Amino acid sequence: MTTEYALRMGDGKRVFLTKEQIMADLEEGSADAADLGGIPALSGDEIDKLAEILMTPSRMVGVEPGKEVPVTHDIGTIRIDGDQGNSGVGIPSSRLIGSMMHERAFGADTMELGHIDYSFKPVKPVIAQEMQTMEVCQQNMIVPLLYGAMPNMGLYYTPDGPFENPGDLMKAFKIKEAQESMEHAADHLTRDTVWIMQRLMASGADGVNFDTIGAAGDGDMFASLHAIEALRKQFPDIYIEAGMAGELLLGLHGEMEYDGTVLAGLWPHQQAPLAAKAGANVFGPVVNTNTSKTSPWNLGRAVTFVKAAVKDSPIPCHVNMGMGVGGIPMFETPTIDAVSRASKAMVEIAGVDGI
Amino acid sequence: MNEVGILFERGKLFLPHVMMAAGAMEAGVALLEADLPKDAASKKLGVIVNGTVEGDVHDIGKSIVSTMLQSSGFEVHDIGRDVPLQDFIDKIKETNANMVGMSALMTTTLPGQKEVIEMLKEQGMRDGIKVMVGGAPATQAWAEKIGADCYAENASEAVSKAKELLL
Repeated sequence: MTTEYALRMGDGKRVFLTKEQIMADLEEGSADAADLGGIPALSGDEIDKLAEILMTPSRMVGVEPGKEVPVTHDIGTIRIDGDQGNSGVGIPSSRLIGSMMHERAFGADTMELGHIDYSFKPVKPVIAQEMQTMEVCQQNMIVPLLYGAMPNMGLYYTPDGPFENPGDLMKAFKIKEAQESMEHAADHLTRDTVWIMQRLMASGADGVNFDTIGAAGDGDMFASLHAIEALRKQFPDIYIEAGMAGELLLGLHGEMEYDGTVLAGLWPHQQAPLAAKAGANVFGPVVNTNTSKTSPWNLGRAVTFVKAAVKDSPIPCHVNMGMGVGGIPMFETPTIDAVSRASKAMVEIAGVDGI
Repeated sequence: MNEVGILFERGKLFLPHVMMAAGAMEAGVALLEADLPKDAASKKLGVIVNGTVEGDVHDIGKSIVSTMLQSSGFEVHDIGRDVPLQDFIDKIKETNANMVGMSALMTTTLPGQKEVIEMLKEQGMRDGIKVMVGGAPATQAWAEKIGADCYAENASEAVSKAKELLL
């Protein structure tokens, strides 16, 4: 009887695959990334290594000694306390305690302070509280503590914000008006992000994590890159992480440019040099998981994209690994077998500098 | 439009381009209308009510799906985001829709999709309408669990699955 290995679908469901099926899915996933991104597929040796990682009988795996990388945790400050279906564990604790637990008990090398709404715009009315919390955290912690939030440009459109919703305009064939609305929103997002970070830097922040850049399309990245540029100019020593929302930068505007490059349609290996050009210290590539495909397919695809990003990035790449990204199933609390295998693959095959 | 759809899926064309192409197609069809058999030019592929369920303010993914469905020839009634569940039922009745699309971007709002399906059953409407679900935490397994007719991973897949179910 052929040996079958217990793996998962992209939605977390258990599947049992033979070595031949695993190899075929790894190759197909890698070929998909290579085709879409115009990048090299993984070599035969790399596919073999990936298969070996996936077929390891242990429940969890780790990197080889000497290959350890720095790890950080977005919004970990509220991960302990959170209990709203957001993979928090519901243990009453302050954000300071959450941060210190990650630093001293869980081995996080850097941390970020985040607000429960986790977008920049809603931080404005509570900026005084965020400043005070940042100051208290900095007084108690040793590892670098950034401030983290999502650019989330959608919050600047009606009914949340002042500009007409491009989705509505687009459906009415008002394309020019939709693009103008995105341009206005981008200007406001840049302005707000810089304003917020000026205050948090005054409170001792070590830097900023832009989490899920591009979630609202190319305008979201346009605004983020300009904010990074402005912050780098104003704070030469600020530590800036530019983390993406997905592998493909969606062109909701379609014509926005940064440094002469059209932003719509950029893949991770093309996004990284722009983040570096704007002034980021670290680039966070993201590859979303297809829930209808197997974990070998998703991992082959994700590693191919991220390896190309690492190669072309002038700055370190800290890959985003977790619920529904990086070849890990879309699962409320991702399983350790999938997380540890995908993470090992990203370090040992894609060559990431951190997670 | 099929070719435009493929290029959209591959990240080579984007929403404004899809809309420009759809606009051009509509204008072209209008010119040809006189030469086409009656009803052929204006016939819609189906009527779809689409929205993001109550408690969830995410709009962008749902809007892209609506736009792609519309530009592919469906009559789409986008009822917005944070939509009270009863509004889905009311709009389906009002428009005599063939399909309802429900988006949710949070695990906490995902159960709204299930509740609407239950409401459709309670009102004896379930057999007459196809149900599509989507959004980041939605999966094929979730669609099967709650008894939806299909799950779509992205906007392009939403179009192809809507065609599969309605044509």
